[in-house]
Amino acid sequence: MNHKFSRRKFLRNSLLGTGAMTLGFPALNVNAKEHKIRVGVVTSLSGANRFGGNLTRRGYDLWAEEINKLGGIEIEGKRYPVEMFYGDAQSRPASGADAAERLIIQDEVDVLFGPYTSGVTLAVQPISQKYRVPMISGSAESPNVWLAKPAFNFGMIPAVDLTTDKSMVVLAENLGDRAKTASVIGVDEPFSKETAEGFRKGVEESGLDLLSYELFPANSDLSAIVSKLKSSNPDIVAVGGHEDIFINFVSTAKALNYKPKALIMHYGVTSAAFINETGPESNGILGVSVWTEGLPYKDELFGTASDYSELSFSRWGTRPDYTEAACSASGLVLQDAARRLGKAPPWDQGTRAELAKAIEDTDIETFYGPVGFAKEGSHYHNNTKPVPAVVQIKSGDVVPVAPENASKGELVYPIPGTS
Amino acid sequence: MDLFLQTLVNGILIGGILICLTIGFQLTFGVLHVIDFAVGGWTMLGGYTAYWLVTLAGIDPFISIFLVFALFLLIGRGLGPLIYHVRTSRYARPDLMALAFTFGIFLFMRGGALWLWSYNSRSVDSVLSGQFLSLGPVTIPLMRLSAFLLAMLFSLGLFILLYRSRFGMAVRALAQNHDHAGLMGVDVKRVSAWVYGIYTALTASAGVLIATIYSVNPSVGIRYTLFAFFVAVLAGLGSVGGVLVAGLALGLLEAYVATYIGARYSLLIVFGTLYLVLLVAPKGVLGRGI
Repeated sequence: MNHKFSRRKFLRNSLLGTGAMTLGFPALNVNAKEHKIRVGVVTSLSGANRFGGNLTRRGYDLWAEEINKLGGIEIEGKRYPVEMFYGDAQSRPASGADAAERLIIQDEVDVLFGPYTSGVTLAVQPISQKYRVPMISGSAESPNVWLAKPAFNFGMIPAVDLTTDKSMVVLAENLGDRAKTASVIGVDEPFSKETAEGFRKGVEESGLDLLSYELFPANSDLSAIVSKLKSSNPDIVAVGGHEDIFINFVSTAKALNYKPKALIMHYGVTSAAFINETGPESNGILGVSVWTEGLPYKDELFGTASDYSELSFSRWGTRPDYTEAACSASGLVLQDAARRLGKAPPWDQGTRAELAKAIEDTDIETFYGPVGFAKEGSHYHNNTKPVPAVVQIKSGDVVPVAPENASKGELVYPIPGTS
Repeated sequence: MDLFLQTLVNGILIGGILICLTIGFQLTFGVLHVIDFAVGGWTMLGGYTAYWLVTLAGIDPFISIFLVFALFLLIGRGLGPLIYHVRTSRYARPDLMALAFTFGIFLFMRGGALWLWSYNSRSVDSVLSGQFLSLGPVTIPLMRLSAFLLAMLFSLGLFILLYRSRFGMAVRALAQNHDHAGLMGVDVKRVSAWVYGIYTALTASAGVLIATIYSVNPSVGIRYTLFAFFVAVLAGLGSVGGVLVAGLALGLLEAYVATYIGARYSLLIVFGTLYLVLLVAPKGVLGRGI
């Protein structure tokens, strides 16, 4: 028997082997994909918004880890593990859109989890629409996102105009006759202006007398504005802006010997950075949060809001904020919609459209609160169900003080040392 | 009337901050003929340095400002020859190249600050933070008053240096004509480098006070670059004396517009006025340079 190595034989065998692998690989690949749900996360992992971007990633990842511990998402009695893919939006809308397209085309994701900022979300949602890939956005807060009536995008956090409006009403109800007047100020830029508009609407709805409503450019020195507020001394001062404006407002007010009776700002005040930077001056300041760990919500995967907080703390070493919570709850929405859809992955374009419809019909209770998306109006596909909690900073801790079902402490009014 | 008086004080004190920010920038333009885009970057780095000194070593900004001055004097002195080299390049449009070069430095500073301190705003606490002086109905924040006094001190020191020292004479000679100054024995490169050092030291020191009054984050640089540009243009590019008048005028205008017309229109009216003034007096308020 001739065992001599022949080049012709080697080439023939190699060719046959390669051919077999090439033909067989897609089958293997499809087989592998059949058993997994591919989730693409578009968020800012670098650039100016990387801090917030990483918060969203933590939230999404925590859900994926927890559901995979159970074997994955249950559909028709069978569990399908979740595989996460990441696209870095680099804090730029255009990069976010590119990243989303890569995730859809190259990684063939079945569903997207949305970006950190509204600006990037606005750039990504036409991509999800174009490829008919449902996107659940755990962080977009600008009402402009929902004005566009995105068919495939769903927002977990109520738009900022809704939360500030509701929170002012909740605060006014809690204060009763003690507060009769309010002033609203805000930075003249899209997000902050919408926040201020929401506060103004809340003032009008709650029957308070609006003493002044003033917008100012982002680069303004606040001494003139604070001097005017000091002169009129309203019962409530509401500020629409970002964290640096809050810090500047607090330090300028202190330097001008002015302390409002109640000062309500937005989400940023609940961050550790704000409390650290303003120190004892942060005491008594009110904020708005759609979620805190003290809220009485729960679900099967994460347990109570408090359980979720503990889990997140043990996993990441820091307490979760509402963004992380909303991102983790995005996974719960996907779970529920996929279960109701009842079709095994991978999902083709038609099935993904059915999945989007299933997400639209979501009506669940989670540790984050109730989730249900508006099907019409100016907040189309935004989760409008959560009622924001009014929180107050007390000795460095963020304590929910209103409404009653969320309250963990008394609302201190007026703030001690008030002008 | 109370609000009117308070606005007057607010305006003067804002003017002090603007003067602080711009005085060094004017010097470097007058002498090196460089429009330094990095002015806001130096301000930001001064603020962050003070933040580090107060959080890591517990040094109050009123002491650390001297350390910051010395540190940035050396940094600027080290960078000065590079700026001079770019500005006196034989290639076409060295003025634009210098602008692009300083813009690059600014971007480098901003990226570095993001990496080192992240995006969060940092405030710098001082013994005077939140302290104020009450004079009847008027409240004077002591930090802002200190910034104003420091601006006056900077200006006075700069005038003494420029008009009462041999180094100042060399600087003024350079501002008039580099070639002639060189022929008269002035070491143009060395003096230019020191001028850049003085500019970075003054601007970073202003940054210490600004971070103490407001806060500092990596994006504030562009804001202060814009303010410095506008004050410098109103003052007359290169005019150190004009900065005092222009800074106070802009501060007062901003405060009164914000109080009596609306804060929303303050920058619009301030910069609209600036353009009108430039149409009437394109050389700036004092109509002359150093």
